[in-house]
Amino acid sequence: MITIKNLSLRYGDFYALNQITLDIPRGSWSCLVGPNGAGKTTFLKTMLGNKPYDGSISIDGIEVYKNLRNVAFVPQRPEIPAGMNVAEYVMLGRARLDGWGRDSNSSRKYAMEILEEMQLVAMRRQLVTQLSGGEMQRVLIARALVQEAELMILDEPTSALDLHHQISTLDHIERAQKNGTTIVSTMHDITLGAMYAERIIIMQQGRVLLDGQAREVIHSQELKMAFDDGITIHTLENGRPVIVANKATASL
Amino acid sequence: MFKSHLRAVTFAILAIVFASVLVSPAQAAGTKYPLTIKFGDYTTKLVKKPTRIISLSPSATEIFYAIGAKSQILAVDSLSNYPTGAPISKISAYEPNVEAILQLKPDLVLLSSDSVKAPQIRSALIKLGVAVLMEKAPATLNDVYAENTALGKVTDRASGAAKLNASMAKSIKNILLKAKTSIKVRIFHELDETYYSATSNTFIGKVYKDFGAINVADAALGADSSGYPQLSAEYLLKSDPQVVFLADAQYGTTIESVSKRAGWPQMSAVVAQKIVALPADIPSRWGPRLVDFYKLIGSTLGTVTN
Amino acid sequence: MKNSEIGRIWHWQITAIVGVVLFIVLLLGVSFGPISLDFQQIIRTLLGLSGGLQDEEKALFLQLRLPRVLLAALVGAALATSGAVYQTVFRNPLADPYLLGAAAGAGLGATIALAGGRSSFYAALPLFAFIGAALAVAATFVISGRSYADPAMLLLSGIAIGSFATAVQTYLQQRNSEVLRPVYSWILGQLTVADWQVVKWASFYIILALSVLIRMSRQLDGLLLSDEEAFSLGISPNKVRIIAIGAATLATATAVSASGLIGFVGIVVPHLVRGITKRATNRALFTVALFGAAFLVLADLGARTLLSPAELPIGVITAFVGAPFLLFVLRAKRVLK
Repeated sequence: MITIKNLSLRYGDFYALNQITLDIPRGSWSCLVGPNGAGKTTFLKTMLGNKPYDGSISIDGIEVYKNLRNVAFVPQRPEIPAGMNVAEYVMLGRARLDGWGRDSNSSRKYAMEILEEMQLVAMRRQLVTQLSGGEMQRVLIARALVQEAELMILDEPTSALDLHHQISTLDHIERAQKNGTTIVSTMHDITLGAMYAERIIIMQQGRVLLDGQAREVIHSQELKMAFDDGITIHTLENGRPVIVANKATASL
Repeated sequence: MFKSHLRAVTFAILAIVFASVLVSPAQAAGTKYPLTIKFGDYTTKLVKKPTRIISLSPSATEIFYAIGAKSQILAVDSLSNYPTGAPISKISAYEPNVEAILQLKPDLVLLSSDSVKAPQIRSALIKLGVAVLMEKAPATLNDVYAENTALGKVTDRASGAAKLNASMAKSIKNILLKAKTSIKVRIFHELDETYYSATSNTFIGKVYKDFGAINVADAALGADSSGYPQLSAEYLLKSDPQVVFLADAQYGTTIESVSKRAGWPQMSAVVAQKIVALPADIPSRWGPRLVDFYKLIGSTLGTVTN
Repeated sequence: MKNSEIGRIWHWQITAIVGVVLFIVLLLGVSFGPISLDFQQIIRTLLGLSGGLQDEEKALFLQLRLPRVLLAALVGAALATSGAVYQTVFRNPLADPYLLGAAAGAGLGATIALAGGRSSFYAALPLFAFIGAALAVAATFVISGRSYADPAMLLLSGIAIGSFATAVQTYLQQRNSEVLRPVYSWILGQLTVADWQVVKWASFYIILALSVLIRMSRQLDGLLLSDEEAFSLGISPNKVRIIAIGAATLATATAVSASGLIGFVGIVVPHLVRGITKRATNRALFTVALFGAAFLVLADLGARTLLSPAELPIGVITAFVGAPFLLFVLRAKRVLK
């Protein structure tokens, strides 16, 4: 679905993205991993098509630049508007589908369903500025889900959530994937990412070191290299990998 | 015998009639209504003789009274303080309130073209059935006479207007004759403490010019299109006026305070004590009291020895 | 209780109440003044029934009062809505519709018209003010160069253009001192002699501009988010900003050319509506327009009656109400955060 060729993004001499070439198949879930500053967030934002870039990013053959497609985006740091409540905020995700006019009944029904699934019904009349970090993050995902988009781009979607909500939220996103949505996400918690994403893309210093099936990429040398050998990959009895950072001194 | 008496009497009567026709001022015929008169840039239509006139110009108020239209005046604007006894209202001459005017039910309004939104106010009043005479500030003495005549025609006081014009012309002529206009006196007409003045392009400037005076503000003729430039203190001292007329005396500027300004004690006007504090209304009105203004200037200039 | 769908998001009851308030205020506006008119007779006249106003009162009502009150309503709606839109676009609760140099440009246009000398220029003053305002905003965009859609850049450019226009205006006033009083009067804002012609063209442009803005209210809400978020929701932030600023400027320029510079409406009214509804989104735009209309009709009523028969410049009244109100709002920042 997404074809990326020689994608680069330069700020003067600094290459935030450097000659990235890869394909993302439709309906897959790809997880970007890598250390801070690798360019993961930049890569996600560039895929939106809002800002210019060198090279090519195309979805089904159409270049994404300034192309207003139905893409759901969950930012790491959203701009939180004043004076807007949760219901209105989530309904913004349906605005395009309703032709920028009045909220249709179907939109209002669907949004309610999503709110119920995400356990956000009780706070739907609260201002978004009054939400905790975790609640805000779930609201962001609710807004993304109501868009019924063919592509969802998520930047650290669960970083502020407790363990229970992390799983339930990612389960929702997985359900969207089963309905045909392509997912591209970044996650610091590679273990969690590996639980859901079947593809992993390793980034370091603006480049893609490796991308492919999660099973293979997890156990690759490139992964260790990306983190300067600071991580260890364990495997549980049921085959699930657990990636742990190495502590400098010996633990008790 | 009887025949010669008859002839003498007839001759006497004819002579008297003939003489009175010659001697009496141009006996203007009474105004015929409905009347359409063009004054300035605007046309005024009157259905009948106006008896409920609202005057929104202090100068026009003075003229109305001077030509004998007192009984036809319904109300005058808030600044029309002369003659005392005129029916002063709270309506502003500069920002007239259309509804307040209408409330009084006038049949003619005299509106100054300097008022805010004057053209629109005129249209609104005409649409609501009130005649409007638009007054424009005169540029020359002839304009003043023309306004007197127009106001006379409109109020059916043409003879009063003619008399006013004649007496004004005569008085001014006498004053100018007495003033020895051949002597060119340097004058400065001060509008405010920052030395705004009036050039010979203004009405006031022309009055001074009639006396042959040299207006020191004329050096700045091109500086302001309406004729009121601001002079620099240095230039003022350099030009050394012989007479200073304080139009800002009404705002508190006194002869003493002026004489003490930096560099002023050496000015000819201060040395010869030829500083005149102009009274409040005279320099800004062009009605019958214009003659008083001429008199004041004439008497001051006449005392200047070169 | 309908729990199966999200309830109506906007409080339509508030809009209805504001609408009723507007109607009442309009009625007050046409009946009070140096000459008082009877309510019943006014309504009868409007409905074409017998027993309405007669002769002079009818003429006064139809030719003077009605157009003036309607113009006040239109200008109030235009300024309030433009203010709300500017506050969204610039994400600044203190933004007002004169921000991008529109006020200074209009003032310069008016000064040129008055200093032109010939009476034909004077009649064209609204046109000059309109062109001045529009050109100033256009100039702001031009000097912003490639950052033409960046709010921060536009703000700075607007300040530069505004300062320049004011400087030129001051110079012209110095060279043509007879213009000082009329320009000052105009700057304070006046609705004194409105006629049906002014109401006609003002209503055309203002209703057009406000319709565009209200139709765009969802997209304007998108501007409250980051540019990437807006883009992902299907909103092109730059395009929306430019169209919004364009429409708001059209409304503002029309208002200014019809009535001079009336300040504070654009800042105060959106905040008032926000305070009542506790929300700051663009679904409020229609209510803001109604509220602005009522606000200015009331202010004009005050201008006409407080110092009767003299007229207070309407800008003085809005400043008297607006300035302390603004202080109050700044202290009660709860609504904004």
